[in-house]
Amino acid sequence: MIDVSGLVKSHGDHPVLRGVDLTVAQGEATAIIGASGSGKSTLVRCINGLETFDEGKVAVDGLDLCCTLSRRERERTVRAIRLRAGMVFQQYNLFPHRTILENVIEGPVHVLKLGVDEAIERARKLLDRVGLGDRADSRPRELSGGQQQRVAIARALAMKPRVMLFDEPTSALDPRMTLEVVAVIKDLASDGLTMIVVTHEMAFARNVAQTVHVLDEGKIVESGPICEVFENPQSQAARGLLNHVEAA
Amino acid sequence: MEEDAPPPRPSLVHLTIRSLVIISLLLSAITQASAQPPDTLANVRTSHRLTYGADEEGGAPYIYIDREPPHGRVGFEVELMDRVAQKLGVRAEFSQALWENLLQVLDRREIDVVVNGYELTERRTRDYLPTRPYYVYQLQLMALPNGPVHSLADLSLPRPGGGQWQVGVLGNSAADNYAQKFDSRLVRVVRFDGATNAMMKVRSGQIDATLQDLPAAQYYIRQPEFSMLSLAGPAEGSGYYVMYVRKGDVALRDALDDALDALTRSGELRAILEKYHIWNDAQLSLGGWSKDKTAPVATSRPMFDLTLLRDFIPTLLASAGVTIGLACASMPLAIIAGLFIAIGRLPESPRVLRWILSTYVEVIRGTPLMLQLFVLFYVLPELGILLSPWAAGILGLAINYSAYEAEIYRAGLQAIPRGQMEAALALGMSRSMALRRVVVPQAARIVIPPVTSDFIALFKDTSVCSVLTLTELTKRYSILSNNVGGVVEFGIATGLLYLLMSLPLTWLSRAMERRLDGVSGPLKGGKR
Repeated sequence: MIDVSGLVKSHGDHPVLRGVDLTVAQGEATAIIGASGSGKSTLVRCINGLETFDEGKVAVDGLDLCCTLSRRERERTVRAIRLRAGMVFQQYNLFPHRTILENVIEGPVHVLKLGVDEAIERARKLLDRVGLGDRADSRPRELSGGQQQRVAIARALAMKPRVMLFDEPTSALDPRMTLEVVAVIKDLASDGLTMIVVTHEMAFARNVAQTVHVLDEGKIVESGPICEVFENPQSQAARGLLNHVEAA
Repeated sequence: MEEDAPPPRPSLVHLTIRSLVIISLLLSAITQASAQPPDTLANVRTSHRLTYGADEEGGAPYIYIDREPPHGRVGFEVELMDRVAQKLGVRAEFSQALWENLLQVLDRREIDVVVNGYELTERRTRDYLPTRPYYVYQLQLMALPNGPVHSLADLSLPRPGGGQWQVGVLGNSAADNYAQKFDSRLVRVVRFDGATNAMMKVRSGQIDATLQDLPAAQYYIRQPEFSMLSLAGPAEGSGYYVMYVRKGDVALRDALDDALDALTRSGELRAILEKYHIWNDAQLSLGGWSKDKTAPVATSRPMFDLTLLRDFIPTLLASAGVTIGLACASMPLAIIAGLFIAIGRLPESPRVLRWILSTYVEVIRGTPLMLQLFVLFYVLPELGILLSPWAAGILGLAINYSAYEAEIYRAGLQAIPRGQMEAALALGMSRSMALRRVVVPQAARIVIPPVTSDFIALFKDTSVCSVLTLTELTKRYSILSNNVGGVVEFGIATGLLYLLMSLPLTWLSRAMERRLDGVSGPLKGGKR
C-alpha cells in the first residue's frame, strides 16, 4: 500500500531524513516512533506531499512520487495521493469559521463533489462513530482538544481514504483526552484500515499498531512486530525510548 | 513636461491647508470680532516690512520662479511690490498661499495685502478694500490652431461634430465668471485648479479651448511646452487687477493708492509691464482712474446666514453625490485588486510575480495620491491615453488604495496558522480552493476593521479629485465660500455631510464583524 525507498531530505545543511525505506501492507497498522527531531513527522508529511524531499521515492497505492517529476506532474500526483491518504494533525487544524458538521462535509462536497445531503448523511454517521453526533452544530472552539481531534479524524474519514496518516495525534492532549482519541484510532485499526501512526508515546503505539519502526537521526534503526521490539529492543534508540517510558 | 516648468497650482499641502483653513476660520470668526483691530500701516512702518500674499504655483508672469539661473522669484507683481514698498519706505516681503484662499489668509492677518491678479469684483469689495488698479486685464481664448475653435464667437455656434464645446477655466477666476455667460447647452465649462492644467488638456485635445487672463496666455504661448497652442481670436472683456486690504485698513489702502498713482504717473509701472510683454493700449486708462470707482458697496450680511444654506443645500448634496460615487466605485476595485496582490505576494508565489507586486505596492504607497492622479489625468494623455475625469478619479483612487488593502490582507493572511492551509491541502483541495474556502474567509474577518477605516479615509481622499476638475464636496465648499460667502455656514454643513457618510460605514463594519464572528459569536443553526 505504501512503499518508501531511499528517502533523503535536508533543511539546508541539516539532514532530516538520511535514506529511509519503509513498507506498509494493506490493512496494516504501523507505528513510527522516535525522539523529537528524529524526522518522523517529516517522513509522514513527505508521504502525502506536504513536504518535498531531495532523493528517493514514495509510492502510495500505485501512485509514484519522486523528485524528478515536473512541478505539474508532482501537483497532480500529490493531489491523487491526498485523496487516498487522510491526515490527522497534532493541532487538529479544524476550520474555526465552520461548524463541526461543515468541517466534516467540506471535503466531500467541495473536493469529491458529493451532493450535500449525501455528504451530511455520511458526516453524521462518522460523527456518531467518534461519539460526537450531538455536537454537529457546535463550533470547533466550543469543543475540548480530544473532541476536536475526533472531529478531525471524522473529517479525514469522510473522504473514504484507503490509508490514514496520524501525525502525533495525541501529543497536544492530556491523558484523559488521549484515551478518547486512542479508542477511536484503535477502533479503526481493528476494522482493518491501513494506517501510519507517528508518535513518541510508546503506550499509544503498543495499543494500536502491529508493526513498529524506530527512527533515529533520520534513519530507521529497528523494525519489527510491535511485541518483539517492545520486549527485546535491539537498538540503542529503541532502548532509550522504552527506558524513558519506564522511568516516567 | 519641462522639468523647470512652473509647477502647477494644485499641491499636496492644498487639502491639508484647505481643511486647516476651515477650522481656523471658524475660530478666527469667533475671536476676531472681539479684538481691537490694530493699525496695519503703522505696523508696516515700524517693522519696515510690507507682507503681500500671492501664489507662485503656475504664477507666471505675475509671480514665479525664473527659468534662468539663478532662478530667483520674478514677475511683474514682484517688481511692482518692490517699488510700492520703496515708496512707503519699507521692504516688500512675499508670502506664499493658495490663490483661492488669499483673502482668507488676509483675514487671518498673516499678510497685509493681497496682490495676485485679483480682479475688482463687487463680491470682493463687499468685504475688503480694493486699491486703485495696476493692470487692465482682458480674457484670451487659447486653442490648438488646427482645432475647431478660432474665436470666442465660435462658442455661440453648435459644435461641429456634435456635443458641447468644452472650455477650461481657472476656478473662481475672472474667466470663470465670464464663462457663466456662455449658453450652457452649447458650452460645458470645466474648472481647473491651475491655469497651466487647463492648457495641458487643450494641448492633448481633451478640451476644445481655455479662457485665460491675457497676461498668462501671452506668457505661456511663448514657452516651449505650450508653443503649439495659439491665441484664438482677439482678447475680450476687461476688468481691473487691484490689491485688497482688510476693511479697516483705510490708511494702508490710501498709502498704497498714492504709491500706485505715483508709479503710474512716472511711467515706472509701464516700464515693468513692458518688460514682461504685457503692456497694451488698454493700460492707458489706468492714468485716468478716479477713486469712487472702487468705493465700497454698502451691504451687510448677518453673522450666521441660514438662508444661504437653504439656497445651496441642493448644490452641496449634489457634490456629496460625486464624493459618494467616487468612493463607492473605487473601493470595491481596490478591495478586489488588493486581494489578488496580497495572494500574489504569498511566499509560495513565483519569485518574479512577488517582485513585481512588491515594487507596485512600494511605488504606490510611497508616492502621493495627488501625484498619481496628476499622472493619470495630465501625463497619460501625452502618451495617447485619454481618461475622462471620472475614469481617472476612480482608477486613481482604486490603484492607490489597492496597495494599502494588499498590505492589510497580507497581514491578515499571515495571521492564519499554516496548519489551516495544510489541513485543506490534505483534504485534496487545490491551493486556490484552499485559499478561497479556508484561508481567505478567516482572514476576511480579521481585516474588516482596518479596511473600513480605509474606506472612511477614501471618502475624504476623494477631495483630491478636484485636481481632475471634478467638483466634489470639498471643492464645492471652496467654490461656494469664495463666491457666495458663508465660510462658517458652509463649513459646518460640509463637515456634517462628511460625518453622515462615515458614520454608517462604522456601524456597517461593526455589524459585519458581529455577523462574521462565528468563532466567538452565538451558535448558528445553518448547514452551510
